[in-house]
Amino acid sequence: MKSYLDLVPISSRLHRKQNRMSIFCIVLAVFLVTVIFGMADMFIRSQIMQARMEDGNWHVSFRNISEEQARLISARPEVEASSWYGVLNYSGEQGYSLQGKNLILCGSEESWITKMQTDMITEGAFPKKDNEALMSENAKTAMDLKIGDLVFVETPVGKFQITISGFLKNVSKTMEEDSYGVFLTTDGFRSIYQQTEKDDSTYFNSIYFVQFSNRCNINNTISDIKAQLGLSGNQVSENTKLLGLLGQSGNSFMLQIYGSAFILFLLVLMAGVMMIASSLNSNVAQRTEFFGMMRCIGATPKQVMRLVVKEAFGWCKFAIPAGVGAGVIVIWILCAMLRYLSPEYFIGMPAFAISFPSVISGICIGALTVFFAARSPAKKASRVSPLAAISGINNKLFHGKKAASTAFFKIDTALGIHHAKSSKGNFVLMVGSFSLSIILFLSFSVTIDFMNHALKPLKPWTPDISIVSPNNSCSISNNLLKDLEENPAVKKAYGRMFAYNVPIQLNGVDKTVDLISYEEHQFDWAKDYLLEGSLQRVQNEVNTGLSVFKQQGTPKVGDTVTFVENRSVDIEIVGTLSSSPFQNVLDVGTIICSENTFRQLTGNTDYTIIDLQLLKSATQKDVDLIHAAVGSEYIFSDERLGNRSVLGSYYSFGLFIYGFMTLIALITIFNIVNSIAMSVSARMKEYVAFRAIGLSNQQMKKMIVAEASTYAVVGGFWGSVLGLLFNKLLYEKMITFYWGEQWKIPFVDLGIILGIVIIAVMIAVNGPLKRIRKISIVDTMSAQ
Amino acid sequence: MEVLKIQHLSKTYGSGESRVEALKDVSFTVNQGEFVAVVGESGSGKSTLLNCIGALDTPTYGNIYIDGNELLSMKEEQRTIFRRRNIGFVFQSFQLVSELSVEQNIAFPILLDYRQPEREKVDEILEVLNLKERRHHLPSQLSGGQQQRVAIGRALITRPKLILADEPTGNLDSKNSRDVMDLLIRASRHYQQTILMITHNMSLAASADRVLRVSDGILTDLGGKVDEKLS
Repeated sequence: MKSYLDLVPISSRLHRKQNRMSIFCIVLAVFLVTVIFGMADMFIRSQIMQARMEDGNWHVSFRNISEEQARLISARPEVEASSWYGVLNYSGEQGYSLQGKNLILCGSEESWITKMQTDMITEGAFPKKDNEALMSENAKTAMDLKIGDLVFVETPVGKFQITISGFLKNVSKTMEEDSYGVFLTTDGFRSIYQQTEKDDSTYFNSIYFVQFSNRCNINNTISDIKAQLGLSGNQVSENTKLLGLLGQSGNSFMLQIYGSAFILFLLVLMAGVMMIASSLNSNVAQRTEFFGMMRCIGATPKQVMRLVVKEAFGWCKFAIPAGVGAGVIVIWILCAMLRYLSPEYFIGMPAFAISFPSVISGICIGALTVFFAARSPAKKASRVSPLAAISGINNKLFHGKKAASTAFFKIDTALGIHHAKSSKGNFVLMVGSFSLSIILFLSFSVTIDFMNHALKPLKPWTPDISIVSPNNSCSISNNLLKDLEENPAVKKAYGRMFAYNVPIQLNGVDKTVDLISYEEHQFDWAKDYLLEGSLQRVQNEVNTGLSVFKQQGTPKVGDTVTFVENRSVDIEIVGTLSSSPFQNVLDVGTIICSENTFRQLTGNTDYTIIDLQLLKSATQKDVDLIHAAVGSEYIFSDERLGNRSVLGSYYSFGLFIYGFMTLIALITIFNIVNSIAMSVSARMKEYVAFRAIGLSNQQMKKMIVAEASTYAVVGGFWGSVLGLLFNKLLYEKMITFYWGEQWKIPFVDLGIILGIVIIAVMIAVNGPLKRIRKISIVDTMSAQ
Repeated sequence: MEVLKIQHLSKTYGSGESRVEALKDVSFTVNQGEFVAVVGESGSGKSTLLNCIGALDTPTYGNIYIDGNELLSMKEEQRTIFRRRNIGFVFQSFQLVSELSVEQNIAFPILLDYRQPEREKVDEILEVLNLKERRHHLPSQLSGGQQQRVAIGRALITRPKLILADEPTGNLDSKNSRDVMDLLIRASRHYQQTILMITHNMSLAASADRVLRVSDGILTDLGGKVDEKLS
């Protein structure tokens, strides 16, 4: 042994069991920080990936600017790529088509497709000449096109001949609307525009999109461009989502989100610091005698402090890599899940990604916290009097001023409560760590509300494919539905008949309603929305219907609605739904009835729309076959791409946000179990002495439960109060600010976390109790 | 009347080469009101004997009867309750509950039974122990001698038939030692209690009615006064 500090590894070997808990706490704190920051990092990466894929990798767009202004913008050193982007027939009302199908015409520079979109070209290349174009994949499949083929585009002023230079992947808009897309060069597009639109506008219905270098300050650059070119706010639009995710947005909503993220970041940091500090505190408290003995032999207070700090850093050697390693593995698992759940969007997520911000923060927070957290108990240890070590008695005695109160509680409970409160510092740390878990949970739970507001979930009735009557009439044959039901790629097929603006009389007042027929599946899905009445009756009894709630007035259950179109027929309202998937104008109500009732009322037998849900195994080929079977008579709306996008967002949001919540819940349990275990360990000798005096196991349990409950009650109170304040603050920043919804006390979230705390306390007392029972009274007493 | 009866008590630690026989076939009885001192070298087995009698340790073999109750046939919980009601302990290191006042420490075994201590009883013990002025003090505010007196008070409060004292004066100076011993003897005579006390101090052992000597785990009953037999 060369130095007194060589005692550290020897002491570590001897106190392996005691130290294990402190090491575990550091591992847990480092793990928490690494995982939360890693998840946030991966979440942002996944969102950037999806945003670039769906909305494009551009940062700002300019409208109504001249060629000269565009040239000045593109010449700036911060600009990485720029392109004009113009569109014709976007809403399908301008009369452009290709072989009878609606056609959306776009014009841009090559950089729009190659730099500002992700993997758009599936085959071929961007057009080199003005009469060349990229065609959407669905047109290729439908018309069996090849590169070099000539196609004739129908326009309001006649046909234009285009040579195909390549193909573009399908986008949800064209697939849902059953239309084709074609991409020309900017010049080619403008040439058609001038001829067809007879518009002298210099802007050609085009917007100028710009992608900046990620290294520049985009916000400042945009302000600079606006000032330099004298552009108004209306002429400039940011890609808010992407800039927000890149941390470059000046958008006020994004600033609120950044503020919220900062608060959550601070809370996580505090949780980490608190966990490590309380564990070191307990560890030192257990070994006061040893430090006293060191002082007695001649160690200076400074040397004792150094010893404690070195010991704490010794734990870090294992704890920090273990915490970081465990955190990285959890992040890998989450990324793998994301890739598996939504490969269309997240296949680009690295399988074994290392999130450097999370690893660095895990290491730094672990090491710095240990350093600062070790100083306070180290100071305490250095202050232990040599006399205390010699006598071996005084240092174990409680030096407070007040005895435990046995007036209100039985002795075991009173002692438990007193143990919890006897050391102010320890009590504050324990209550702090309990309440911080609750605060973290309540703060992060706002992100679930945020997700539910920001994303519209897929409903169970969402179809993969809809076959729609072009003029919204009941013109799709019943037989088609039967054929589709038998198709092996189809999981569910269901049709609806619509009659719009049907005149009715309700209580003698003339009104109009949309009448919609449901079948078995749709009635089944409506179950969750039934406010009152019976779905059985409307399905089985003719001339019955369901009303859909509308604030302007809804027929009530028991009301009779008289249909007055051809002949007067009375329909009894037998139920009310809170909402339906259909939107209509303010003063038009909705009545849902069975197919039989609909047919009797209107005389129509065919469907307005047939929805298909496909099996998971269904391929593009299956869809093409269905499309061919349906023919071009109806609109074939393929909604799979749009659905996949919604699912992708849900998976990435859900995985990370529920991941955060689960992690916080687990950390709460671990932290409580560990804190109680350490607190009990610090008093182990005292408890064993209690057993010698006559404290039974049941009483021991009551005493530990009382101690743990004191922390839980006080921690629960402060955690709930502060947690609700944070919840309100974050809710207002993230939700009220944008969607206007007012904050309400989140009773469910509060109940869940308090439930978790109670369960954790119940689990926490069992471990130490078992250990106390196993310890020999004789050995412990003679060690004193 | 027999308060304590020990039959063929043996205690073995370890196995194989490290096997140690701490007690070897120990048998003896103690009558009510007797004050018995147990003497012996360090490591002779006297503390093991006391721990086994107090149900803090389990013997390898043998029987222990306290007031006719077979201690070792009881379940752990039952034994703990029996101990706090029928055996008073006085430890060398006092083992007071540092968070409780003098009064509460004395009443501790009664409080553990979820009973209200009788005020007169507590007052009487405080009077006997000369701790009336200090009834609201915490152990940390007392001297070593005072702390041991509190421990004796705790051992007396349930009026147990048997008091086990493991070197009760080991941490005290000679004056305090003498005071504590006087108190212990006075109290046991007053309440007709049986005392089994381990001590290294021969002059303290001299005040006992009977002396047992433990050597290498074997117990020898020296009978009468220690100074007569040991000299």
